This record gives sequence, C-alpha cells and structure tokens, in this order.
Amino acid sequence: MALPLSRSVLSLQGVIPAERRLSATPTRLDLELPRGAVALLQVDDEADAAALIDLCVGLSDPGAGRVRFLGVDWTTRNARERLTRRRRIGAIVQAGVWPTHMTVLEAVLMARFYHFNRPPAEVIADATQLARLFGLPGLPVGRSETTPLRALIRAACVRGFLGSPDLIVVQDQMLDQSAGLAVPMAQAISAACDRGATVLWITTNLGARAAEFVHANHVLRLGDAGLVPARRSR
Amino acid sequence: MIARVAGDRPSRFRFRRFLAAVGSRTIVGTQRLLLFISLAATVVIVAARRSTWQGPVRTEFMRVLHGVAVRSLPTTIATGMLVGFALVTQAVYWLEQTGTTGLVGPVIVVLLIRELVPILIGLIVFGRSGTATLIELGEAQTKGWLRVLEIQGVDPLVLLVLPRAFGFAIGAFCLATVLLLTTLATGYLVAHALGLVAYSMWDFADLVVRAMKVQDFIFPPLKCITIGFVVALACCATGLGRRDESDELQRLVPRGFVRSALAILVVNSLFDLVG
Repeated sequence: MALPLSRSVLSLQGVIPAERRLSATPTRLDLELPRGAVALLQVDDEADAAALIDLCVGLSDPGAGRVRFLGVDWTTRNARERLTRRRRIGAIVQAGVWPTHMTVLEAVLMARFYHFNRPPAEVIADATQLARLFGLPGLPVGRSETTPLRALIRAACVRGFLGSPDLIVVQDQMLDQSAGLAVPMAQAISAACDRGATVLWITTNLGARAAEFVHANHVLRLGDAGLVPARRSR
Repeated sequence: MIARVAGDRPSRFRFRRFLAAVGSRTIVGTQRLLLFISLAATVVIVAARRSTWQGPVRTEFMRVLHGVAVRSLPTTIATGMLVGFALVTQAVYWLEQTGTTGLVGPVIVVLLIRELVPILIGLIVFGRSGTATLIELGEAQTKGWLRVLEIQGVDPLVLLVLPRAFGFAIGAFCLATVLLLTTLATGYLVAHALGLVAYSMWDFADLVVRAMKVQDFIFPPLKCITIGFVVALACCATGLGRRDESDELQRLVPRGFVRSALAILVVNSLFDLVG
C-alpha cells in the first residue's frame, strides 16, 4: 500500500479554483495545514469563501492542482468514499440555515448518529457540554424557525466541534460578528488543537470579533497572487 | 422562380423547426424517464445495504411513515365513505335493476380493488404528504441546508430520498387497506339501509372474496406499494431538482403533481398489463 504523499491534515498544492467572483486572474493556492494548526484566511467575497470550503472538503474539484485531506487526494475517491471521509470534518457554515423537517437538536446530533454507533447518551452528553461552553443552557430542542438566531449560531458551533473531528472549517459571517463567541471559540479551538485537530477559519475580515482571541499559526489573505501572509488588525 | 423558392423556404424551415421541437422534447422526456428509473434502481440497491439504515435514517423513515399512514387516516376514511356511498350503492342498484346481482362481487373486485383504490391512494398520498415533501426538499438547495448535509458527509439520497420512498410505499399499502375496508363497509351499510340488498354483511364480504382470484391478493397490494414508491420518488426528484430561486417554489407543486399523476397512471397500466 502506498504511503500518503502528505502528512498534513489539509493540503492544497497548486490549486486553481474554477472561477472567482472578485478576480479575473486565475489564482494559484498552496497551503499545508499540519495537525494542531490554526489558519485564519481572509477571503473578501463570501461566494469565493464558500467555493474554497467546497474545495477543501471535497464537494467540488479544483480546475488544477491537488487538494488532500489526511494525505488522500479527494479526486481519487468516488462520491461514496468522499462522504465517508467527510465524517472526520466538522463544519461551522451557514449557521442560520437548518433543515426544516428536523429540530435543531436532531440536526446537531444527526451526523454523529449517521456515521458512528456511539451510545446516544454519550453523544448527547458531549453535545450538552459543548453547548454550555458556547453559552447555551443545553441544546435547542425546537425547530429552527422558532429558535433565536443567537442560539442557532451557538448550536452550529456545537455541531462543528462535536465528535472530535480532524479538520474544523469555519465560514460564517454571522458568527464572525458575534463578539460573545470570542472566548468560547478560542477555548474550543485550543482544546481541539491540543487533541490534534486542524482549524481553517475563512472570514471576510481578519479582525472578526469572534476570532479575536484565536491564536492562529497562519494568517493569510486570498489575493490575485494566491494566499499571501497578512496581519490581523486588533 | 425566386418567389417560389422564397415561399418554399419558410414552410420547409417551419416543418424542420417542428421536427426539431418534437425531437428535443422526446429526447428530454426519455432522458428524464431514464434518470427516474436509475434513481428508483439506486434507491432499491442502497436500501438493500444493511449499513444504510443508520439511526437518523430509521428516525426519518418512522417520521415519514407516521405522516403518510397516520396523519392521512382521516382523509382516507372520509374518501372511503364517499366512494363507498357512490360506487358500491350504484353498482348494487344497477346490477339489481338488470337482474344480475350475482355479479356484484366481480364488479367490485374489478372496479374497486384492482383500479380505483390504487389510483385514489396515489392521489391521497401525493396530496397529503407529497406536497409537503416537494416544499421541504424544494428549499434544501436554495436555503443551503443540503450543502451543510453534504459537508457533514451525509448522503442526501440516503437521508432524504430513501426514507420517503419506503415510507410512502408502506404507507400507501396501509392506507389502501383502510380505504378498501371503509368503502366496502360504507357501501354495504348504505345499500342495506336503502333496501337494495337483503343479504348480511358477511354474505356481502363472502361475495367479494369469492370473486377475487389469487392474483387479486398479490397485484393490487403490490400496485399500491409501487405507486407510493414512485410518488415519493417523483416528489423527491422534483423538489431536489430545484436549483435556485429563479425556479419559483409555487411552480414545484403543479410540476410535482403532473409527474406524480403520470407515474401513478403508468404504474397502474403496467400492472394491468401484467396482471
């Protein structure tokens, strides 16, 4: 069996996204995120940020280059294998959007029960602990339309960190603006990194309030020259 | 000569355009049919895997089955009473007028069990649960929660389509049984109350059961199950096929109705051919 080419949790090598909204020039992206690393990326356009997330989690294929997750190129895996591999990814995206036919509680726990056979009581206990970390008394049990947005954003954070994922991707403007989440996010990210997880936080503003206390190993900005080092404004 | 050529061209072009339009519609229709068949085959194959029926899939299946079989019960009973009043009393009345009351069993078997119940059940299942599915899944892509499911590694076919397909199929069978019993009971009671029949309810049931052949115990239930299955697939495919806001949600329901109705009639005809 061939050894994986890359030891990084997430590796983008010579990736050229199919199309960017705010740039006409093809942009080459190179990024290596080892275990325990935190990368904060500024992407000005939200559609470009979502497209980058899709590339990283294998939802779409790059026009050129390779995207590897845990050393495996997404393009070498079929659709079913990609879905299975994504069980090791936690995502905090589209925090205000939830399935209409499920309660928020069901939606938060669903992926854990779908992929793993852990006892429900253990999963619920972990989720409740995370919910308390993010300032909720427990997990919201109502439907998304009757749950306050503040609670939905926190529930999305619980969903993202639940189950000790290897890669956590964060991309949500509403979350970025939540100053109240700055400390809990820093604590949750720090705990995840200690466990060996990697965090990729894509934001439209490097000075995002929620990311204020997050210690990032890589602070980058997506420009025409690709991913270039940037400085955070505090 | 120039005038003749100039006059020929538009009519020839019109004919070609007509042929092209017919051809393209035929190709699109065939492609959709093949896609639908492949979706049905995929759902059946995926359902056969033991690993598919994880906790959330089972929960979703139970929720859908409850919605179809329990919540649609009052509608089904009301429909059964109305149909029973109209159909059985009319059949009994006209057969009595023609002096052929012995045919009441075969007439009811052919009309009700083989034809009417499966089609009515298809329409009830679509009206009560199919429209809800269309709206739920019609928003999945545009609101963005379908993408969140995919990022989490959850297969939309397994979590959204499969429980609905099997929930609708089993629910349709349950509702068909209720509809049939309600129709027969109502029909008998009304006919008895009007003095159209003199025999007991057990004799009436005996007449119907004796008129049934072995295939009547196999094909009509299978027909109802298949109709529930294809209605669910038509609704799921139509709902998930909505890609953006430009495709208005209000247009999904009529589109889903046309596809479901066509699927019901095609399944009904195929079973009639086989049975």
